[in-house]
Amino acid sequence: MSNTPEEVEFELRAHVGSLWTGGRLFIGIYTFLIASLAFSYFYLRSSNNSDLWRPNHVTAPTAYGWSIYGMMMGAGILAYFGQTRLRKGQVADWFVACWTGVGLGVVALFLQIWELVVLNFYPGSSGYASTFVGFVVFNIISLTLGTYWLETCVARAHRMGFEMGEGAVLANTSAGRSFRANVASMTYFWGFLGLSGTMFLLMFYVL
Amino acid sequence: MTISAERPTEVATHSASPYSSKKPRGWFSQHLGTALLAAIIGYLIGHWLGNHIAWNYPTTAATGQNYVANFLALLFGVVGWLLGIGALNYPLAKLVGRSGEHEPEEADGISKYFRYSTNHKTVGIQYIVGVLLFLFTAGLLAMAIRTELLNPTTHVFSPDTYIKIVSEHGTIMMMMATSIIVGPLGNYFVPLMIGSRRMAFPRIEAFSFWTFTAGYMVIFSALPYGGFPTGWTGYAPLQTQAGPGMISYLFGFAVIGLGMMTAGFNVAVTIVNYRAPGMTWSRVPVFVWGILATAALMTLATPALFAAGTFGLLDLVNQTAFYVNEHGGSSYLWQNLFWFFGHPEVYIMAIPGFGVVGELLPVFCRKPLFGYKVSAAGMIGVALLSFFVWQHHIFQSGINPDMRPLFMLTTEMISIPTGFIFLVGLGTMYKSKMRFEIPMLFSLALYFNFLIGGLTGVFISDVPVNVTLHGSFFVLSHFHYTIMGGLVFAFMAGLYYWLPKMTGKMMNKKIGLWHFWTMFIFFNLTFFPMFIIGMLGQPRRVFTYAKSLQGLNDFSSISAYILGFSFIIFAWNLMYSMYIKPEMAPANPWDSLGLEWQTATPVPRHNFDRIPVITNDPYHYAEPGATPLVDRGQSSSSSGYQA
Repeated sequence: MSNTPEEVEFELRAHVGSLWTGGRLFIGIYTFLIASLAFSYFYLRSSNNSDLWRPNHVTAPTAYGWSIYGMMMGAGILAYFGQTRLRKGQVADWFVACWTGVGLGVVALFLQIWELVVLNFYPGSSGYASTFVGFVVFNIISLTLGTYWLETCVARAHRMGFEMGEGAVLANTSAGRSFRANVASMTYFWGFLGLSGTMFLLMFYVL
Repeated sequence: MTISAERPTEVATHSASPYSSKKPRGWFSQHLGTALLAAIIGYLIGHWLGNHIAWNYPTTAATGQNYVANFLALLFGVVGWLLGIGALNYPLAKLVGRSGEHEPEEADGISKYFRYSTNHKTVGIQYIVGVLLFLFTAGLLAMAIRTELLNPTTHVFSPDTYIKIVSEHGTIMMMMATSIIVGPLGNYFVPLMIGSRRMAFPRIEAFSFWTFTAGYMVIFSALPYGGFPTGWTGYAPLQTQAGPGMISYLFGFAVIGLGMMTAGFNVAVTIVNYRAPGMTWSRVPVFVWGILATAALMTLATPALFAAGTFGLLDLVNQTAFYVNEHGGSSYLWQNLFWFFGHPEVYIMAIPGFGVVGELLPVFCRKPLFGYKVSAAGMIGVALLSFFVWQHHIFQSGINPDMRPLFMLTTEMISIPTGFIFLVGLGTMYKSKMRFEIPMLFSLALYFNFLIGGLTGVFISDVPVNVTLHGSFFVLSHFHYTIMGGLVFAFMAGLYYWLPKMTGKMMNKKIGLWHFWTMFIFFNLTFFPMFIIGMLGQPRRVFTYAKSLQGLNDFSSISAYILGFSFIIFAWNLMYSMYIKPEMAPANPWDSLGLEWQTATPVPRHNFDRIPVITNDPYHYAEPGATPLVDRGQSSSSSGYQA
């Protein structure tokens, strides 16, 4: 198989482009997934069958909700900040920001699971209760995916440093370019999680 | 800027792979056997865990069923399956920063088909086996249905068993049909047709296949669990009242949905990014346009199914009330979520068929494709509009009547881009020199069948007509004409056309003709009478009917048996042509201009020795002096069969 410099560059650009396209398409897939949940919320709210959409305006534990949201936003902001620092060549800042983000993501995940244990209503007691449990399931999936993606980026950066030398993540090698494209898509995903998290916070905890 | 020769992915030459493809693989190297073993172990662990958690739940005591155990058993079984086949190796390795460079190379010989392969050609052939397994399983269930309907008063099955057979048949067929062309033919040929050496995400591609097979096993598990009575549409509140087989249905759909999303994701990203230099959008083969439109639907519509299935599982396992009217939920919610996916789903099935016939017609008409851009626009238009028609499935469910005219309009509008496909076909065939090879026969049959199916769809989209025909055999016949008459015939066309490329062997023409004519004639004899049966009032999914309709039902059933036999003929043709008396295929048996035919047979691991530079589209038949497809100065590997 021929590997001329032009072919190598072509395939590298295709690979980097795939990370870009794939990251955005993944957000598209996720949008339709959470839109289904949002649709369910508004559908059950407007139909209010048996007057059981939200009896007594029951609300999930607000402290948990705000804490999880805060940590999720924190992880997202740190991922974005980290990427900004990485682009300026500050790899150490990127490591600190992203490891902190991973920590926040893990704690948020555990809190989100724990919230199911301390729920102040039965899952099937109302439309709100049902959609809230559905939201928790999707949020667990979101936090798992986002934190996983963030952690794998950081782990990859460490390994590249061990195997290819310090500054490998900044180098103009194929591994470096691929890595930075992956980080960019991951940051974009966290931005999306922040937006969707804000929307659901308003729906389930504020309104 | 210096470009390093260092390669970013596992496609790179492995400079220091610790594994040799020449070393025999151990018994517990990951393959289908370890996947089955891990799935069984996972299933047992999940079942034990569920019993441990929920043995004293009120619902367990009340119903005698432990839905938590059922669900966890299936979940752990699927996870075990994926672990056992090696699908999770790379995601786990990424946690410690590993890239894919130290993965084993693909196994040699036939064992590669039983393993997690990142070679898109291997995955394509795996998918052929997978979809044929689905097809034959559900086909046997169809034979059971037609046997029951031979007599309205003498019954082979109880009513409960009958509806569960119908439900299982429909669900397996619909799950199979989601990937019947994208899976085998899309995965195998899209990279070849766009001049790429690989897929964008080979591991995700392989993951989609093994998830697809896991979904099959999950949905098949419904039978030993007692089945589910809702038909493939799974409507609430019957869904919430059903037994443990419903868990298999809901979870099976979620798993298949995951497979669909990943398959569509991978192929869409590949088409966007990996087109060879010179392959502008106006030179992309029409089959690839079809796959791209389908992939868009697979990625964006399937999440709604995943969500709907998740909510259904939560209702059964966690006692939420998404679909329970009495507790603040709504059975209409399921219908809306399901059909928001369900209508794009049927176009996920139709569009690849259009792509296949659009690709084949120029070859067998020896004429350029008429209206290439119209064809692409038609498929994209159908895909786009398919998101705006879903409520035509629930006209009679009690939706707001003011919504009906809107969805009637959008549904009738979708026949316009579909009509483009027919115009393109007619224009290509007009004044052409047709060669009636078997792929061409199946392509022509698609046009015939889909014309009937499509027109009857326009009738049912009309609300007043829908009032009388909803839930009848008319609707059943309509969708069998479009899905089986369209998609399955296109699949056969594609197989007969492309199997020589995939295997180096021609399918036997004489047996193929028997297969085609038997299938085409008896398909029409099976399903056309059902339009009449439906108009005369026979509802679907019910095993009794008016005695006066027995003649037509018997005619349909006997034709169905022969239609089923036509698949046996196909299977025999496969066995005969591949193993018993193989006939080696020439390099390009159809004289196609397609790029996939410019590679060697068998296709090398990385498809092209050199990345081709595309200079034209592949439809310039009978145009002497047309610019060639590929710049031969940087051509792909030599053609010609290599033993």
